[in-house]
Amino acid sequence: MDPVTGKTIAVNVNGDQYEREVEARQLLVHFLRDDLELTGTHIGCDTGNCGACTVIYDGTAIKSCMLLAIQADGARIDTVEGLASDGELHPLQRAFSETHALQCGYCTPGMLMSAKHLLDNNPEPTQHEVRRALQGNICRCTGYWNIVEAVLAASKGEA
Amino acid sequence: MTETVTPTEALVVEETETRPGFIGQSVPRKEDRRLVQGEGIFIDDMKRHGMGFVHFVRSPYAHARIVSVDVSKALELDGVYGTLTGDEVAIQTDPYFELTVPPGNEIKDYCLAVGKAHYMGEPVAAVVAATRDLARDAAELVEVEYEPLPVLVDPERAQDADAPVIHEDPGSNVVWSGLFSWGEIESAMAEADHVVRIQRLHFDRFSSTPLECSGGLVEFDRPTGQWHIYSNNQFPGFAAIMMAPALRTGIDKLRFISHDIGGAFGNKICTHPQLTACCLLARKLKRPVQWTEWRTEQHMTNTHGNERVFLDVEVPVKADGTMLGFRCRAIDDCGAYPRYEPLGCIIWSQVTPGMYRWRHIEIDFTQICTNKSPVGPNRGYSRMQHLWFTERVIDIVAHELDLDPVEVRKRNYIRSDEMPYETPNGCVYDSGDYSKMLDMALELIGYGVLEERRAEAAERGKLLGLGIGSTLDSGTNNFGQSQLLNPELQFSGNNEVATIKLDLLGEVVITLGTVPQGQGHETVASQVAAEILGCTPDDIHVRVGHDTYWNSHSGFSGTYASQFAVTGLGAVKGAAEKLAEEMRRLAAAVLGCPADDIELAGGMARMRDNREAALPFMALGAIINVNNAGLPEDLDVTLNARYVYRPPFQVPDKERKFGNLTLTYASQIHACLVEVDPETGAYEIVNYAAVDDCGKRIHPQIVEGQVHGATAQAIGAATHETFAYDEDGNLLTPNFYDYHVPHALDMPPLHAGYLESPSPFTAYGAKGMGEGGGAGIHAVCAALQDAMRAAGNQIVHDSCNPPWRVWEMLQDAESTRRLVSVEERR
Amino acid sequence: MLLRQVEYARAESVADAVRLLGENSNARPLAGGQTLVNVMKARAASPDVLVDLNGLDELKGIRTTPAGGLELGSMVTYTEMVESEDVGDFRPRLAEVTSTIADVQVRNRGTLGGNLCSNDPTNHLPPLMVAMGAEMTIAGSSGERTVPAEDFFLGVYLTAVEPDELLTKVTLPPPGGGDGFAAVTIGREGTCIVNAAAVVHDGEARLAIGCVSAVPVVVRASSEPEAAAAAVTTADFDPPTDVHASAGYRRRLAEVLARRAVQQAIGVG
Repeated sequence: MDPVTGKTIAVNVNGDQYEREVEARQLLVHFLRDDLELTGTHIGCDTGNCGACTVIYDGTAIKSCMLLAIQADGARIDTVEGLASDGELHPLQRAFSETHALQCGYCTPGMLMSAKHLLDNNPEPTQHEVRRALQGNICRCTGYWNIVEAVLAASKGEA
Repeated sequence: MTETVTPTEALVVEETETRPGFIGQSVPRKEDRRLVQGEGIFIDDMKRHGMGFVHFVRSPYAHARIVSVDVSKALELDGVYGTLTGDEVAIQTDPYFELTVPPGNEIKDYCLAVGKAHYMGEPVAAVVAATRDLARDAAELVEVEYEPLPVLVDPERAQDADAPVIHEDPGSNVVWSGLFSWGEIESAMAEADHVVRIQRLHFDRFSSTPLECSGGLVEFDRPTGQWHIYSNNQFPGFAAIMMAPALRTGIDKLRFISHDIGGAFGNKICTHPQLTACCLLARKLKRPVQWTEWRTEQHMTNTHGNERVFLDVEVPVKADGTMLGFRCRAIDDCGAYPRYEPLGCIIWSQVTPGMYRWRHIEIDFTQICTNKSPVGPNRGYSRMQHLWFTERVIDIVAHELDLDPVEVRKRNYIRSDEMPYETPNGCVYDSGDYSKMLDMALELIGYGVLEERRAEAAERGKLLGLGIGSTLDSGTNNFGQSQLLNPELQFSGNNEVATIKLDLLGEVVITLGTVPQGQGHETVASQVAAEILGCTPDDIHVRVGHDTYWNSHSGFSGTYASQFAVTGLGAVKGAAEKLAEEMRRLAAAVLGCPADDIELAGGMARMRDNREAALPFMALGAIINVNNAGLPEDLDVTLNARYVYRPPFQVPDKERKFGNLTLTYASQIHACLVEVDPETGAYEIVNYAAVDDCGKRIHPQIVEGQVHGATAQAIGAATHETFAYDEDGNLLTPNFYDYHVPHALDMPPLHAGYLESPSPFTAYGAKGMGEGGGAGIHAVCAALQDAMRAAGNQIVHDSCNPPWRVWEMLQDAESTRRLVSVEERR
Repeated sequence: MLLRQVEYARAESVADAVRLLGENSNARPLAGGQTLVNVMKARAASPDVLVDLNGLDELKGIRTTPAGGLELGSMVTYTEMVESEDVGDFRPRLAEVTSTIADVQVRNRGTLGGNLCSNDPTNHLPPLMVAMGAEMTIAGSSGERTVPAEDFFLGVYLTAVEPDELLTKVTLPPPGGGDGFAAVTIGREGTCIVNAAAVVHDGEARLAIGCVSAVPVVVRASSEPEAAAAAVTTADFDPPTDVHASAGYRRRLAEVLARRAVQQAIGVG
């Protein structure tokens, strides 16, 4: 393949197929938010630290601010918008609400995707494992304690 | 490194009698459904057809003359809609209103740098383009010629004769200065058995760095001159007061709309300069203009918490440990522009004595400018800095005089039977039981086994320390305190507004003047209204966010200063009661009975003695809206009630700087256990207790969430978070890579306890409580000092103590010991 | 946060990648992107062409070698290293250290090759590779060559990999004794302020100190922990001063961490 400044990519996001033209320089997070208008995935920093942009990319949790949209050609991406189904909240979403694991809600989509990735791979995590799974997601409102409780509750089917 | 931490344990709760109804219940949050689905509308989510994206060109120098700004190359780039420079701003706007006295009020503060850059990152020009990327690209093509000037970053040098002067118009770096003196410090000194002197205590610059950066989307309606400012600014009242005169327009021409906000913590109060620039651009370019702040911009330019240094502290103490007062000089560094300042120069005095009974207090207070980011009222604003100081004083005095830190606090705490307590400067602490809270905290932290743990840690080569941090969260400001700084200012009191209506189909709709950023206002407002209207919170719809057009706000509207539980809910209560009264009179008129016979219950207005005679809300709404023939002529009922809550304040005494400056005082006592690795200075918080008393907790879970979040922010501020500058005024921590905020693995086990000492001054006995986290900083400092007793008896004198600072103290105990001295008087 | 214009090519083979790197001046390989994309967001560096290596299966995989060593493809991710049975059996310290790099999301994309070739002085893996005596295999237009780890790191962000070359794999020798690693970080499992890796074999310790110089500083000592610390004291390096640590503090940390790394390697830490 010779270098290109852009191309048309095909991505599956939350089960929906999209085809869009992208510039090579466009970050995946901007593609999701601006081109596909899925604004649930958020941006909180410039340096890949905060995790607000976390999505699940071909089954792994990644920070979508450090992937180019053009790299995602052919990929399956799961974002927060795909968690609930038919109006039913995902157990993690219910748990977050019940445990007051969100205040302003800005870090929440990223947290939910990191938590989902954890539970998909480790259905019965310890508290420490939950913390490690969320280490890449910054929250300034909650101090994390309730978020950890929420993930544990969801893992135990308590939500 | 310790292993897994235990989850938050069961609460120790002492609460007031639970009453039937929704107040005191942790009802499900209305906000959650949209937020957990990523359907919150944050400012960067908003789009407008044809909008242009703003990128600010910023000064790379902390202090420099701007020789020229050339935007021509930027304008040539395809897709660039236009630019804005300082020259245009100086013509089209007036400088922002300065709150301070002469000569500080001569400072010229515009939305873009005019003539000179005063801090690194100050916006010098703005570029608007069709996409974010193009705006960013175009910004690089703007050519600015600078003439660097000497830089001032040391607040203690700001008043030196040869210090660089930040603003030429006032000609001095002093923003405000004054002497605060209550009681008789000289006679207290004479009476003292010991005088403890501390040369220097320094409160570091940091901020709560909300995850969502600031932003705005501004539209200008040319025919009416109306600006529509969508933003996450949390205090539109203040923004309007700043922007309207600057833009030479009326207050109502600035419509502020907010929706969901990703945290603010005071950091989103002073965004009026960026919003002003957007207003000018929207008008100039005849299109909506969108601005989203970058993380680096937030750290560099918007905004820091006040940095304050306390010098030459003197504390007279009696032999039995009673502390009589203190005297010191304080220098507050507000960065390059005051903006919300100098209010910080008085706001600390809401808590002049901290939690303590000393009566003789003197502070020689000066606020100065430096070439650093302007400050803003960050969470804990000005009180936190002062309360850290008082706690350090208590802790250091106890340390030096070998007094038990628990005993000394209990001896000097204001007692619960003295409440309401008038402080030396006339503030009234409404309620609280500090001694009891301290006991709760000590139990939660395992005080009884402290020495065992200390010995065990020593066996592993670690130094264990326990620290106590007591603090207050003063809430609901009396803005009259501004007159103590500048008698010419025309601000006093406080207010908040709520409007409630019963609509055609029986919907109850509340419109708030507040600007919530995660505190759950929609939920809590509905709890209060539901109790009054006899329905459930689910029956009540609270509009999301804030909108000037709702006309449900006033000059002080916003969400800041720990007051929603008092002002916001006071307004909701007042409006709901008005509506309830109208509903009863309407029902009475329809049912043909006296209004007193009607009760609101079960979603109905019904006769108390004959429940069958009832009108559902929908009936009342329909009658007033579309079916009103035959109603009594004198029946004045609109079912649309607007209420302005006004706390009972007077203008304080300007001569004596005396008077009640805040309505409520929530209290927090935290205790923390640290383990220091003496070889590296690295330390871990191995256990943590937080006891909070904010009076009646309207929604306990939300209160707990605030306690958690404030604690986490304090831990960050205590251990790592600092906006450090080099001598050229470069910010060394401009992003989350270098400015480390706590992550999930950094959190200690948390044991929380609650006490409810109702406030006699508020409708529900509730107190505002969003800012109590400072206690964490005080506790960590005290714990580190305690840990180092065995290693050199160091004195902790900085608020932020990263490993390198702990290590330096361990290497050179003398450097800290030199800061304190004890003079024996008898 | 917004990159400059750039061209993108997805390499189809190592040879293709090498060709693309050679044909385009200012071309950079794109591995996990956890460093490079951030650098481009800050516009601190802006390559004209990105050569995406993520499709190259030949750069993936972790295998044991006939000599009893371990071979890791340059494009293995941190997560793959952490979860690899071979790494866990053969060099568990490598898995343990790698599991503390940043966070799950970064580990899912970040690669061994990216970590080594970016050679940020605060990275965990360069000192560990140097201490372990790793060998780096580099592919260029004229074929392959190997460079020992000690000679691989040349300066800040600079390695022996030329602009038209690719790191293809890292080979670790059979473990002789024990491995140790110690660090002081910014926050729990954060960026390193100083780190030290130690590999002990036959009473000798090879140490590599990170974060104190442009490249890992090699120190040799006996495997007696105090001797290791003493050897670091007299070693020739000039640590930087920054907002997280002074030069003096870094020096003292290097001594302490060297001792702790050796203690861990010999099984007492």
